[in-house]
Amino acid sequence: MTGVSTSAATLPVASTGRVHAAVKPVLWLALGLLAIEVLVMALEIRPYYLPRPSAIAANIMATPGAYLAGLWRTFLETALGFVAGSLFGVLMAVIFHRWVTLRELFFPLFVVSQTIPVIAFGAVVVLWFGNTLFAKAVISFYISFLPVTVNTLLGFSSVDPRQVQLMRSFGANDVQILRRLYLPAALPQLFVALKLASSLALVGAIVGEWFGDTTGLGVLLLQAMYNENVVGIWATIVVSACLGMGLYSLVSLAERKIVFWGGEQ
Amino acid sequence: MTQGTMALSDEGSRGAAADATGLIDRLGFSSGKVTMSTNVKLEAVEPAVTGEGEKPLIELRNVSKTFGAVKALSDLEVSIRPGELVTVVGPSGCGKSTLFNILAGLEEPDPGNVLRLKGVSSTASDLLGKVSFMPQRDLLLPWRNVIDNAILALEIEGMPRSEARRQAMEMLPEFGLAGFEAQYPNQLSGGMRQRVALMRTFLFKRDLMLLDEPFGALDALTRTMMQRWLLDVWQKHKRTVLFITHDVDEAIFLGDRVLVMTARPGRIKLEQVVDLPRPRKADIVTSPEFIALKKTLLEAIEEESMKSFQVSGH
Repeated sequence: MTGVSTSAATLPVASTGRVHAAVKPVLWLALGLLAIEVLVMALEIRPYYLPRPSAIAANIMATPGAYLAGLWRTFLETALGFVAGSLFGVLMAVIFHRWVTLRELFFPLFVVSQTIPVIAFGAVVVLWFGNTLFAKAVISFYISFLPVTVNTLLGFSSVDPRQVQLMRSFGANDVQILRRLYLPAALPQLFVALKLASSLALVGAIVGEWFGDTTGLGVLLLQAMYNENVVGIWATIVVSACLGMGLYSLVSLAERKIVFWGGEQ
Repeated sequence: MTQGTMALSDEGSRGAAADATGLIDRLGFSSGKVTMSTNVKLEAVEPAVTGEGEKPLIELRNVSKTFGAVKALSDLEVSIRPGELVTVVGPSGCGKSTLFNILAGLEEPDPGNVLRLKGVSSTASDLLGKVSFMPQRDLLLPWRNVIDNAILALEIEGMPRSEARRQAMEMLPEFGLAGFEAQYPNQLSGGMRQRVALMRTFLFKRDLMLLDEPFGALDALTRTMMQRWLLDVWQKHKRTVLFITHDVDEAIFLGDRVLVMTARPGRIKLEQVVDLPRPRKADIVTSPEFIALKKTLLEAIEEESMKSFQVSGH
Protein backbone atom coordinates (compact mmCIF):
# COMPACT_ATOMS: atom_id res chain seq x y z
CA MET A 1 0.00 0.00 0.00
CA THR A 2 3.01 2.29 0.26
CA GLY A 3 3.17 4.79 -2.54
CA VAL A 4 6.51 4.57 -4.26
CA SER A 5 6.93 8.11 -5.47
CA THR A 6 8.64 8.06 -8.81
CA SER A 7 8.54 11.21 -10.83
CA ALA A 8 7.50 10.46 -14.37
CA ALA A 9 9.91 13.12 -15.58
CA THR A 10 12.91 11.06 -14.53
CA LEU A 11 11.85 7.90 -16.30
CA PRO A 12 14.45 5.98 -18.21
CA VAL A 13 13.64 6.22 -21.86
CA ALA A 14 14.90 3.51 -24.15
CA SER A 15 17.91 5.02 -25.86
CA THR A 16 19.56 2.15 -27.62
CA GLY A 17 21.52 3.00 -30.71
CA ARG A 18 21.43 6.75 -30.18
CA VAL A 19 25.19 7.23 -30.32
CA HIS A 20 25.36 4.67 -33.05
CA ALA A 21 22.86 6.60 -35.14
CA ALA A 22 24.82 9.81 -34.71
CA VAL A 23 28.12 8.20 -35.68
CA LYS A 24 26.84 6.17 -38.59
CA PRO A 25 26.48 9.00 -41.16
CA VAL A 26 30.02 10.17 -40.35
CA LEU A 27 31.36 6.66 -40.94
CA TRP A 28 29.57 6.41 -44.24
CA LEU A 29 30.96 9.78 -45.26
CA ALA A 30 34.52 8.68 -44.51
CA LEU A 31 34.01 5.50 -46.49
CA GLY A 32 32.56 7.42 -49.43
CA LEU A 33 35.47 9.88 -49.44
CA LEU A 34 37.95 7.05 -49.49
CA ALA A 35 36.16 5.46 -52.44
CA ILE A 36 36.21 8.76 -54.37
CA GLU A 37 39.91 9.24 -53.63
CA VAL A 38 40.67 5.82 -55.06
CA LEU A 39 38.41 6.37 -58.07
CA VAL A 40 39.84 9.78 -58.94
CA MET A 41 43.37 8.39 -58.86
CA ALA A 42 42.51 5.22 -60.71
CA LEU A 43 40.58 6.97 -63.52
CA GLU A 44 43.03 9.91 -63.60
CA ILE A 45 40.25 12.49 -63.42
CA ARG A 46 41.61 16.02 -63.76
CA PRO A 47 41.30 18.15 -60.59
CA TYR A 48 39.30 20.68 -62.63
CA TYR A 49 36.41 18.22 -62.75
CA LEU A 50 36.85 16.48 -59.43
CA PRO A 51 39.76 17.05 -57.06
CA ARG A 52 40.92 14.27 -54.79
CA PRO A 53 39.25 14.35 -51.34
CA SER A 54 42.70 14.52 -49.77
CA ALA A 55 43.38 17.71 -51.72
CA ILE A 56 40.07 19.12 -50.53
CA ALA A 57 40.93 18.23 -46.95
CA ALA A 58 44.33 19.86 -47.35
CA ASN A 59 42.65 23.00 -48.66
CA ILE A 60 40.39 23.14 -45.62
CA MET A 61 43.27 22.53 -43.24
CA ALA A 62 45.32 25.28 -44.91
CA THR A 63 42.84 27.99 -43.96
CA PRO A 64 40.61 26.46 -41.30
CA GLY A 65 39.74 29.87 -39.87
CA ALA A 66 37.93 31.03 -43.00
CA TYR A 67 35.88 27.88 -43.23
CA LEU A 68 35.06 27.87 -39.52
CA ALA A 69 33.96 31.50 -39.65
CA GLY A 70 31.82 30.73 -42.71
CA LEU A 71 30.41 27.65 -41.07
CA TRP A 72 29.52 29.54 -37.92
CA ARG A 73 27.90 32.40 -39.81
CA THR A 74 25.84 30.12 -42.03
CA PHE A 75 24.91 28.00 -39.04
CA LEU A 76 23.57 31.04 -37.21
CA GLU A 77 21.50 32.11 -40.21
CA THR A 78 20.16 28.61 -40.72
CA ALA A 79 19.41 28.00 -37.05
CA LEU A 80 17.63 31.32 -36.66
CA GLY A 81 15.54 30.79 -39.77
CA PHE A 82 14.84 27.17 -38.93
CA VAL A 83 13.73 27.79 -35.36
CA ALA A 84 11.59 30.77 -36.34
CA GLY A 85 10.16 28.89 -39.32
CA SER A 86 9.32 25.84 -37.22
CA LEU A 87 7.64 27.87 -34.49
CA PHE A 88 5.71 29.89 -37.05
CA GLY A 89 4.82 26.71 -38.92
CA VAL A 90 3.37 25.07 -35.80
CA LEU A 91 1.59 28.26 -34.81
CA MET A 92 -0.03 28.54 -38.24
CA ALA A 93 -1.06 24.89 -38.05
CA VAL A 94 -2.72 25.52 -34.70
CA ILE A 95 -4.52 28.57 -36.07
CA PHE A 96 -5.62 26.76 -39.21
CA HIS A 97 -6.78 23.84 -37.12
CA ARG A 98 -8.74 25.99 -34.71
CA TRP A 99 -10.34 28.30 -37.28
CA VAL A 100 -11.25 26.39 -40.38
CA THR A 101 -12.41 29.57 -42.14
CA LEU A 102 -8.92 31.02 -41.81
CA ARG A 103 -7.49 27.83 -43.26
CA GLU A 104 -9.79 28.03 -46.26
CA LEU A 105 -8.85 31.69 -46.76
CA PHE A 106 -5.12 31.63 -46.22
CA PHE A 107 -3.82 28.13 -46.72
CA PRO A 108 -3.93 28.39 -50.54
CA LEU A 109 -1.96 31.64 -50.19
CA PHE A 110 0.64 29.75 -48.18
CA VAL A 111 1.04 27.22 -50.93
CA VAL A 112 1.21 29.92 -53.61
CA SER A 113 3.89 31.73 -51.62
CA GLN A 114 6.07 28.65 -51.91
CA THR A 115 5.80 28.61 -55.68
CA ILE A 116 7.69 31.92 -55.86
CA PRO A 117 11.29 30.82 -56.45
CA VAL A 118 13.36 31.60 -53.40
CA ILE A 119 15.96 33.31 -55.63
CA ALA A 120 13.44 35.89 -56.80
CA PHE A 121 12.22 36.41 -53.29
CA GLY A 122 15.78 36.59 -51.91
CA ALA A 123 16.60 39.72 -53.88
CA VAL A 124 13.66 41.54 -52.33
CA VAL A 125 14.56 40.40 -48.82
CA VAL A 126 18.12 41.67 -49.19
CA LEU A 127 16.75 44.98 -50.49
CA TRP A 128 14.52 45.21 -47.43
CA PHE A 129 16.88 44.05 -44.71
CA GLY A 130 20.29 44.73 -46.24
CA ASN A 131 23.32 42.45 -46.16
CA THR A 132 22.58 41.30 -42.66
CA LEU A 133 22.45 37.97 -40.90
CA PHE A 134 18.78 38.67 -40.33
CA ALA A 135 18.05 38.88 -44.06
CA LYS A 136 19.44 35.36 -44.60
CA ALA A 137 17.50 34.07 -41.63
CA VAL A 138 14.35 35.49 -43.23
CA ILE A 139 15.02 33.52 -46.41
CA SER A 140 15.64 30.36 -44.36
CA PHE A 141 12.44 31.04 -42.48
CA TYR A 142 10.49 31.57 -45.69
CA ILE A 143 11.65 28.31 -47.20
CA SER A 144 11.18 26.13 -44.09
CA PHE A 145 7.83 26.95 -42.48
CA LEU A 146 5.39 25.44 -44.97
CA PRO A 147 6.37 21.77 -44.59
CA VAL A 148 6.07 22.24 -40.83
CA THR A 149 2.57 23.66 -41.15
CA VAL A 150 1.46 20.95 -43.56
CA ASN A 151 2.80 18.08 -41.49
CA THR A 152 1.54 19.45 -38.19
CA LEU A 153 -1.93 19.70 -39.70
CA LEU A 154 -1.53 16.13 -40.91
CA GLY A 155 -0.57 15.11 -37.37
CA PHE A 156 -3.62 16.90 -35.95
CA SER A 157 -5.91 15.09 -38.33
CA SER A 158 -4.55 11.73 -37.15
CA VAL A 159 -6.04 12.30 -33.69
CA ASP A 160 -8.81 9.83 -32.83
CA PRO A 161 -12.06 11.84 -32.52
CA ARG A 162 -13.11 9.53 -29.70
CA GLN A 163 -10.06 10.69 -27.81
CA VAL A 164 -11.25 14.27 -28.19
CA GLN A 165 -14.72 13.25 -26.98
CA LEU A 166 -13.21 11.58 -23.95
CA MET A 167 -11.29 14.76 -23.08
CA ARG A 168 -14.47 16.77 -23.57
CA SER A 169 -16.38 14.45 -21.25
CA PHE A 170 -13.77 15.28 -18.61
CA GLY A 171 -14.71 18.91 -19.13
CA ALA A 172 -11.53 19.87 -20.99
CA ASN A 173 -11.44 23.18 -22.86
CA ASP A 174 -9.85 23.75 -26.27
CA VAL A 175 -6.48 24.82 -24.89
CA GLN A 176 -6.25 21.74 -22.66
CA ILE A 177 -7.16 19.46 -25.54
CA LEU A 178 -4.59 21.16 -27.75
CA ARG A 179 -1.82 20.90 -25.18
CA ARG A 180 -2.51 17.43 -23.91
CA LEU A 181 -3.75 15.75 -27.05
CA TYR A 182 -3.26 17.47 -30.41
CA LEU A 183 0.27 18.78 -29.97
CA PRO A 184 1.81 15.57 -28.60
CA ALA A 185 -0.10 13.50 -31.14
CA ALA A 186 1.32 15.62 -33.98
CA LEU A 187 4.92 15.24 -32.80
CA PRO A 188 5.84 12.22 -34.96
CA GLN A 189 4.60 13.99 -38.09
CA LEU A 190 6.12 17.27 -36.98
CA PHE A 191 9.57 15.73 -36.73
CA VAL A 192 9.38 14.40 -40.25
CA ALA A 193 8.85 18.00 -41.36
CA LEU A 194 11.54 19.37 -39.07
CA LYS A 195 14.15 17.11 -40.64
CA LEU A 196 13.13 18.33 -44.07
CA ALA A 197 12.99 21.94 -42.89
CA SER A 198 16.50 21.78 -41.41
CA SER A 199 17.92 20.94 -44.84
CA LEU A 200 15.76 23.53 -46.57
CA ALA A 201 16.78 26.22 -44.09
CA LEU A 202 20.44 25.61 -44.93
CA VAL A 203 19.70 26.00 -48.63
CA GLY A 204 17.91 29.26 -47.85
CA ALA A 205 20.86 30.61 -45.88
CA ILE A 206 23.46 29.74 -48.56
CA VAL A 207 21.35 31.14 -51.38
CA GLY A 208 20.70 34.24 -49.28
CA GLU A 209 24.45 34.85 -48.95
CA TRP A 210 24.79 34.96 -52.74
CA PHE A 211 22.95 38.26 -52.72
CA GLY A 212 25.89 39.82 -50.97
CA ASP A 213 27.79 39.29 -47.76
CA THR A 214 31.32 39.02 -46.52
CA THR A 215 31.29 35.78 -44.56
CA GLY A 216 29.41 32.52 -44.83
CA LEU A 217 29.60 29.31 -46.80
CA GLY A 218 27.66 30.84 -49.69
CA VAL A 219 30.22 33.65 -49.89
CA LEU A 220 33.11 31.18 -49.90
CA LEU A 221 31.37 29.26 -52.66
CA LEU A 222 31.00 32.40 -54.81
CA GLN A 223 34.57 33.53 -54.20
CA ALA A 224 35.96 30.14 -55.13
CA MET A 225 33.82 30.10 -58.25
CA TYR A 226 35.00 33.53 -59.44
CA ASN A 227 38.62 32.55 -58.81
CA GLU A 228 38.09 29.21 -60.57
CA ASN A 229 39.37 27.66 -57.38
CA VAL A 230 37.87 24.23 -57.96
CA VAL A 231 39.34 22.73 -54.81
CA GLY A 232 37.91 25.66 -52.87
CA ILE A 233 34.45 25.03 -54.31
CA TRP A 234 34.63 21.41 -53.29
CA ALA A 235 35.96 22.27 -49.86
CA THR A 236 32.98 24.55 -49.30
CA ILE A 237 30.62 21.86 -50.50
CA VAL A 238 32.11 19.44 -48.00
CA VAL A 239 31.81 21.91 -45.14
CA SER A 240 28.20 22.67 -46.14
CA ALA A 241 27.45 18.97 -46.26
CA CYS A 242 28.87 18.59 -42.76
CA LEU A 243 26.67 21.41 -41.54
CA GLY A 244 23.61 19.93 -43.21
CA MET A 245 24.25 16.51 -41.75
CA GLY A 246 24.98 17.97 -38.35
CA LEU A 247 21.65 19.80 -38.32
CA TYR A 248 19.79 16.74 -39.51
CA SER A 249 21.43 14.55 -36.87
CA LEU A 250 20.56 17.08 -34.20
CA VAL A 251 16.88 17.01 -35.18
CA SER A 252 16.94 13.20 -35.38
CA LEU A 253 18.46 13.02 -31.94
CA ALA A 254 15.75 15.28 -30.55
CA GLU A 255 13.16 13.12 -32.29
CA ARG A 256 14.47 9.95 -30.69
CA LYS A 257 14.41 11.61 -27.29
CA ILE A 258 11.03 13.28 -27.57
CA VAL A 259 8.95 10.89 -29.68
CA PHE A 260 9.99 7.85 -27.66
CA TRP A 261 6.64 6.11 -28.12
CA GLY A 262 7.07 5.93 -31.88
CA GLY A 263 4.23 6.46 -34.28
CA GLU A 264 1.72 4.40 -32.30
CA GLN A 265 -1.95 5.38 -32.63
CA MET B 1 -12.14 -10.18 0.52
CA THR B 2 -8.74 -10.92 -0.86
CA GLN B 3 -10.28 -10.91 -4.29
CA GLY B 4 -9.78 -7.20 -4.64
CA THR B 5 -6.03 -7.45 -4.56
CA MET B 6 -5.71 -10.78 -6.27
CA ALA B 7 -3.22 -10.88 -9.05
CA LEU B 8 -5.05 -10.41 -12.27
CA SER B 9 -2.86 -12.25 -14.68
CA ASP B 10 -3.75 -11.76 -18.27
CA GLU B 11 -1.84 -14.71 -19.54
CA GLY B 12 -3.82 -17.88 -19.32
CA SER B 13 -5.45 -20.59 -21.27
CA ARG B 14 -8.10 -19.50 -23.65
CA GLY B 15 -10.23 -22.47 -22.61
CA ALA B 16 -12.64 -20.25 -20.76
CA ALA B 17 -13.81 -18.89 -24.07
CA ALA B 18 -16.28 -21.76 -24.09
CA ASP B 19 -18.44 -19.62 -21.89
CA ALA B 20 -18.79 -16.93 -24.52
CA THR B 21 -19.22 -19.40 -27.33
CA GLY B 22 -22.14 -20.92 -25.49
CA LEU B 23 -23.85 -17.59 -25.54
CA ILE B 24 -23.36 -17.20 -29.26
CA ASP B 25 -24.77 -20.67 -29.79
CA ARG B 26 -27.88 -19.82 -27.87
CA LEU B 27 -28.39 -16.64 -29.84
CA GLY B 28 -27.84 -18.39 -33.08
CA PHE B 29 -29.91 -21.49 -32.66
CA SER B 30 -33.13 -20.36 -31.04
CA SER B 31 -35.79 -19.97 -33.66
CA GLY B 32 -38.36 -17.27 -34.23
CA LYS B 33 -41.06 -19.60 -32.93
CA VAL B 34 -39.80 -19.37 -29.38
CA THR B 35 -39.87 -15.62 -29.31
CA MET B 36 -43.52 -15.50 -30.27
CA SER B 37 -44.58 -17.57 -27.30
CA THR B 38 -42.40 -15.78 -24.78
CA ASN B 39 -43.58 -12.35 -25.69
CA VAL B 40 -46.43 -12.57 -23.22
CA LYS B 41 -44.13 -13.47 -20.40
CA LEU B 42 -41.95 -10.44 -21.05
CA GLU B 43 -44.90 -8.09 -20.82
CA ALA B 44 -45.53 -9.32 -17.34
CA VAL B 45 -42.07 -8.43 -16.15
CA GLU B 46 -41.99 -5.01 -17.71
CA PRO B 47 -43.99 -2.94 -15.20
CA ALA B 48 -41.17 -3.21 -12.66
CA VAL B 49 -40.33 0.44 -13.24
CA THR B 50 -38.44 2.33 -10.59
CA GLY B 51 -40.30 4.72 -8.45
CA GLU B 52 -40.00 3.36 -4.97
CA GLY B 53 -38.48 5.49 -2.26
CA GLU B 54 -35.14 6.88 -3.35
CA LYS B 55 -34.88 9.80 -5.74
CA PRO B 56 -33.22 8.87 -9.02
CA LEU B 57 -29.75 10.21 -9.63
CA ILE B 58 -30.46 10.61 -13.27
CA GLU B 59 -33.70 10.40 -15.15
CA LEU B 60 -34.39 10.38 -18.87
CA ARG B 61 -37.86 10.68 -20.34
CA ASN B 62 -39.02 10.97 -23.96
CA VAL B 63 -35.44 11.03 -25.13
CA SER B 64 -35.13 10.63 -28.91
CA LYS B 65 -32.21 11.16 -31.20
CA THR B 66 -32.29 11.38 -34.96
CA PHE B 67 -29.24 11.45 -37.21
CA GLY B 68 -30.49 12.64 -40.57
CA ALA B 69 -32.96 10.00 -41.67
CA VAL B 70 -31.96 7.49 -39.01
CA LYS B 71 -33.78 7.43 -35.73
CA ALA B 72 -31.31 6.06 -33.20
CA LEU B 73 -33.36 6.49 -30.05
CA SER B 74 -37.09 6.85 -29.66
CA ASP B 75 -38.86 7.91 -26.47
CA LEU B 76 -36.30 6.31 -24.26
CA GLU B 77 -36.95 6.23 -20.54
CA VAL B 78 -34.25 5.42 -18.04
CA SER B 79 -33.88 6.25 -14.42
CA ILE B 80 -31.01 5.26 -12.20
CA ARG B 81 -30.90 5.45 -8.42
CA PRO B 82 -27.75 6.38 -6.53
CA GLY B 83 -25.43 3.45 -5.90
CA GLU B 84 -27.07 1.23 -8.50
CA LEU B 85 -25.19 -0.79 -11.07
CA VAL B 86 -27.42 -0.91 -14.13
CA THR B 87 -26.41 -2.89 -17.19
CA VAL B 88 -27.70 -2.28 -20.71
CA VAL B 89 -27.83 -4.98 -23.37
CA GLY B 90 -29.24 -4.88 -26.84
CA PRO B 91 -28.61 -5.86 -30.42
CA SER B 92 -25.77 -4.11 -32.15
CA GLY B 93 -26.68 -0.74 -33.59
CA CYS B 94 -29.54 -0.23 -31.15
CA GLY B 95 -28.35 3.17 -30.03
CA LYS B 96 -26.57 2.14 -26.84
CA SER B 97 -23.63 4.32 -27.66
CA THR B 98 -25.90 7.22 -28.56
CA LEU B 99 -27.51 6.88 -25.15
CA PHE B 100 -24.08 7.01 -23.57
CA ASN B 101 -22.98 9.98 -25.58
CA ILE B 102 -26.08 11.85 -24.43
CA LEU B 103 -25.42 10.96 -20.82
CA ALA B 104 -21.77 11.99 -21.17
CA GLY B 105 -22.92 15.35 -22.52
CA LEU B 106 -21.36 14.78 -25.93
CA GLU B 107 -24.59 14.70 -27.87
CA GLU B 108 -27.78 16.67 -27.47
CA PRO B 109 -31.01 14.65 -27.79
CA ASP B 110 -33.85 15.85 -30.02
CA PRO B 111 -35.98 18.63 -28.51
CA GLY B 112 -38.88 17.68 -26.28
CA ASN B 113 -36.91 15.46 -23.94
CA VAL B 114 -36.74 15.45 -20.18
CA LEU B 115 -33.31 14.97 -18.66
CA ARG B 116 -32.98 15.35 -14.94
CA LEU B 117 -29.78 15.12 -12.96
CA LYS B 118 -30.57 14.80 -9.22
CA GLY B 119 -34.03 16.11 -9.94
CA VAL B 120 -32.72 19.22 -11.71
CA SER B 121 -33.77 19.64 -15.31
CA SER B 122 -30.68 19.84 -17.54
CA THR B 123 -29.51 19.77 -21.13
CA ALA B 124 -27.00 17.18 -22.23
CA SER B 125 -24.19 19.73 -22.47
CA ASP B 126 -24.73 20.47 -18.76
CA LEU B 127 -23.53 16.94 -18.16
CA LEU B 128 -20.09 17.58 -19.70
CA GLY B 129 -17.59 17.02 -16.93
CA LYS B 130 -20.32 15.74 -14.58
CA VAL B 131 -20.18 12.11 -15.59
CA SER B 132 -17.13 9.89 -15.71
CA PHE B 133 -17.15 8.19 -19.04
CA MET B 134 -15.18 5.24 -20.26
CA PRO B 135 -15.46 4.46 -23.96
CA GLN B 136 -15.03 1.05 -25.59
CA ARG B 137 -11.40 1.55 -26.45
CA ASP B 138 -9.01 2.38 -23.67
CA LEU B 139 -7.83 5.51 -25.53
CA LEU B 140 -4.68 5.80 -23.45
CA LEU B 141 -2.20 8.44 -24.54
CA PRO B 142 0.92 6.65 -25.80
CA TRP B 143 3.23 9.41 -24.57
CA ARG B 144 2.01 9.19 -21.00
CA ASN B 145 2.92 6.43 -18.59
CA VAL B 146 0.37 4.55 -16.51
CA ILE B 147 0.19 7.04 -13.70
CA ASP B 148 -0.01 10.09 -15.96
CA ASN B 149 -2.70 8.47 -18.08
CA ALA B 150 -4.70 7.72 -14.96
CA ILE B 151 -4.56 11.33 -13.75
CA LEU B 152 -5.56 12.89 -17.08
CA ALA B 153 -9.05 13.83 -15.92
CA LEU B 154 -7.78 15.16 -12.58
CA GLU B 155 -5.25 17.32 -14.40
CA ILE B 156 -7.97 18.76 -16.59
CA GLU B 157 -9.93 19.60 -13.47
CA GLY B 158 -6.95 21.65 -12.38
CA MET B 159 -5.56 19.45 -9.62
CA PRO B 160 -1.78 19.87 -9.23
CA ARG B 161 0.09 16.98 -10.82
CA SER B 162 1.87 15.94 -7.65
CA GLU B 163 -1.39 15.65 -5.71
CA ALA B 164 -3.08 13.82 -8.58
CA ARG B 165 -0.16 11.39 -8.87
CA ARG B 166 -0.27 10.73 -5.14
CA GLN B 167 -3.96 9.84 -5.31
CA ALA B 168 -3.36 7.61 -8.30
CA MET B 169 -0.41 5.86 -6.65
CA GLU B 170 -2.65 4.90 -3.75
CA MET B 171 -5.14 3.34 -6.14
CA LEU B 172 -2.61 1.33 -8.16
CA PRO B 173 -2.60 -1.87 -6.05
CA GLU B 174 -6.39 -2.03 -6.09
CA PHE B 175 -6.31 -1.97 -9.88
CA GLY B 176 -3.62 -4.63 -10.04
CA LEU B 177 -1.13 -2.14 -11.42
CA ALA B 178 1.30 -1.77 -8.51
CA GLY B 179 4.82 -1.47 -9.85
CA PHE B 180 3.60 -0.57 -13.33
CA GLU B 181 3.25 3.17 -12.75
CA ALA B 182 6.22 4.02 -14.96
CA GLN B 183 5.28 1.75 -17.87
CA TYR B 184 3.97 3.13 -21.12
CA PRO B 185 0.74 1.86 -22.74
CA ASN B 186 2.57 -0.02 -25.50
CA GLN B 187 4.30 -2.08 -22.81
CA LEU B 188 1.00 -3.25 -21.27
CA SER B 189 -1.37 -6.09 -22.08
CA GLY B 190 -4.94 -5.44 -23.16
CA GLY B 191 -6.35 -6.21 -19.72
CA MET B 192 -3.90 -3.90 -18.01
CA ARG B 193 -4.58 -1.07 -20.44
CA GLN B 194 -8.26 -1.47 -19.72
CA ARG B 195 -7.60 -1.27 -15.98
CA VAL B 196 -5.60 1.91 -16.46
CA ALA B 197 -8.55 3.34 -18.37
CA LEU B 198 -10.91 2.22 -15.59
CA MET B 199 -8.65 3.78 -13.02
CA ARG B 200 -8.75 7.03 -14.97
CA THR B 201 -12.55 6.81 -14.85
CA PHE B 202 -12.59 6.02 -11.13
CA LEU B 203 -10.22 8.85 -10.28
CA PHE B 204 -12.55 11.29 -12.02
CA LYS B 205 -14.95 11.15 -9.09
CA ARG B 206 -18.41 11.79 -10.42
CA ASP B 207 -21.85 10.64 -9.29
CA LEU B 208 -22.41 8.59 -12.40
CA MET B 209 -19.96 6.31 -14.16
CA LEU B 210 -20.63 5.29 -17.74
CA LEU B 211 -18.82 2.19 -18.91
CA ASP B 212 -19.23 1.37 -22.59
CA GLU B 213 -18.33 -2.29 -23.15
CA PRO B 214 -15.15 -1.89 -21.16
CA PHE B 215 -14.27 -5.58 -21.35
CA GLY B 216 -15.51 -6.19 -24.88
CA ALA B 217 -12.07 -6.54 -26.41
CA LEU B 218 -10.64 -8.86 -23.74
CA ASP B 219 -10.38 -12.63 -23.94
CA ALA B 220 -13.00 -14.57 -21.98
CA LEU B 221 -10.78 -15.52 -19.07
CA THR B 222 -9.47 -12.01 -18.51
CA ARG B 223 -13.00 -10.73 -18.86
CA THR B 224 -14.41 -12.87 -16.04
CA MET B 225 -11.54 -11.83 -13.80
CA MET B 226 -12.18 -8.20 -14.61
CA GLN B 227 -15.90 -8.58 -13.90
CA ARG B 228 -15.28 -10.00 -10.43
CA TRP B 229 -12.72 -7.35 -9.78
CA LEU B 230 -15.06 -4.58 -10.93
CA LEU B 231 -17.76 -5.81 -8.53
CA ASP B 232 -15.27 -5.68 -5.66
CA VAL B 233 -14.17 -2.17 -6.52
CA TRP B 234 -17.74 -1.04 -7.07
CA GLN B 235 -18.91 -2.43 -3.75
CA LYS B 236 -16.06 -0.73 -1.97
CA HIS B 237 -16.51 2.67 -3.59
CA LYS B 238 -20.30 2.56 -3.94
CA ARG B 239 -20.51 4.41 -7.22
CA THR B 240 -23.49 4.59 -9.54
CA VAL B 241 -22.67 2.74 -12.72
CA LEU B 242 -24.34 2.38 -16.09
CA PHE B 243 -22.64 -0.44 -17.94
CA ILE B 244 -23.14 -1.26 -21.62
CA THR B 245 -22.39 -4.77 -22.79
CA HIS B 246 -23.61 -7.27 -25.30
CA ASP B 247 -22.68 -10.20 -23.11
CA VAL B 248 -25.83 -11.31 -21.27
CA ASP B 249 -23.83 -13.23 -18.65
CA GLU B 250 -21.87 -10.11 -17.90
CA ALA B 251 -25.05 -8.04 -17.69
CA ILE B 252 -26.66 -10.38 -15.14
CA PHE B 253 -23.51 -11.08 -13.18
CA LEU B 254 -22.79 -7.39 -12.63
CA GLY B 255 -26.14 -5.67 -12.62
CA ASP B 256 -28.78 -4.75 -10.07
CA ARG B 257 -31.01 -4.28 -13.06
CA VAL B 258 -30.61 -5.21 -16.69
CA LEU B 259 -32.14 -3.01 -19.35
CA VAL B 260 -32.76 -4.63 -22.71
CA MET B 261 -32.94 -2.20 -25.60
CA THR B 262 -34.98 -2.70 -28.72
CA ALA B 263 -33.58 -2.71 -32.22
CA ARG B 264 -33.26 0.71 -33.80
CA PRO B 265 -34.85 3.04 -32.93
CA GLY B 266 -33.73 2.18 -29.41
CA ARG B 267 -36.16 2.04 -26.55
CA ILE B 268 -36.13 0.08 -23.33
CA LYS B 269 -37.82 -3.18 -24.19
CA LEU B 270 -37.44 -4.88 -20.88
CA GLU B 271 -36.27 -3.96 -17.46
CA GLN B 272 -35.19 -6.98 -15.47
CA VAL B 273 -34.35 -6.70 -11.78
CA VAL B 274 -31.53 -9.05 -10.85
CA ASP B 275 -32.18 -10.12 -7.28
CA LEU B 276 -29.18 -12.38 -6.95
CA PRO B 277 -27.47 -11.91 -3.59
CA ARG B 278 -24.26 -9.91 -3.34
CA PRO B 279 -21.35 -10.42 -3.09
CA ARG B 280 -21.68 -12.62 -6.13
CA LYS B 281 -19.33 -15.53 -6.55
CA ALA B 282 -18.09 -16.73 -9.88
CA ASP B 283 -20.16 -19.93 -9.70
CA ILE B 284 -23.39 -17.98 -9.49
CA VAL B 285 -23.58 -18.20 -13.28
CA THR B 286 -24.57 -21.86 -12.95
CA SER B 287 -27.32 -21.33 -10.39
CA PRO B 288 -30.92 -21.97 -11.55
CA GLU B 289 -31.90 -18.37 -10.77
CA PHE B 290 -29.14 -17.08 -13.01
CA ILE B 291 -30.09 -19.47 -15.80
CA ALA B 292 -33.73 -18.41 -15.56
CA LEU B 293 -32.81 -14.75 -15.82
CA LYS B 294 -30.52 -15.47 -18.69
CA LYS B 295 -33.27 -17.31 -20.53
CA THR B 296 -35.67 -14.41 -20.18
CA LEU B 297 -33.11 -11.87 -21.30
CA LEU B 298 -31.79 -13.93 -24.18
CA GLU B 299 -35.26 -14.39 -25.53
CA ALA B 300 -35.89 -10.65 -25.42
CA ILE B 301 -32.58 -9.90 -27.11
CA GLU B 302 -33.06 -12.63 -29.66
CA GLU B 303 -36.35 -11.13 -30.69
CA GLU B 304 -34.76 -7.72 -31.18
CA SER B 305 -31.74 -9.12 -32.96
CA MET B 306 -34.03 -10.84 -35.46
CA LYS B 307 -35.83 -7.55 -36.04
CA SER B 308 -32.68 -5.57 -36.67
CA PHE B 309 -31.40 -8.37 -38.84
CA GLN B 310 -34.51 -8.28 -40.97
CA VAL B 311 -34.41 -4.51 -41.27
CA SER B 312 -30.80 -4.17 -42.24
CA GLY B 313 -30.07 -7.53 -43.73
CA HIS B 314 -32.18 -7.74 -46.89
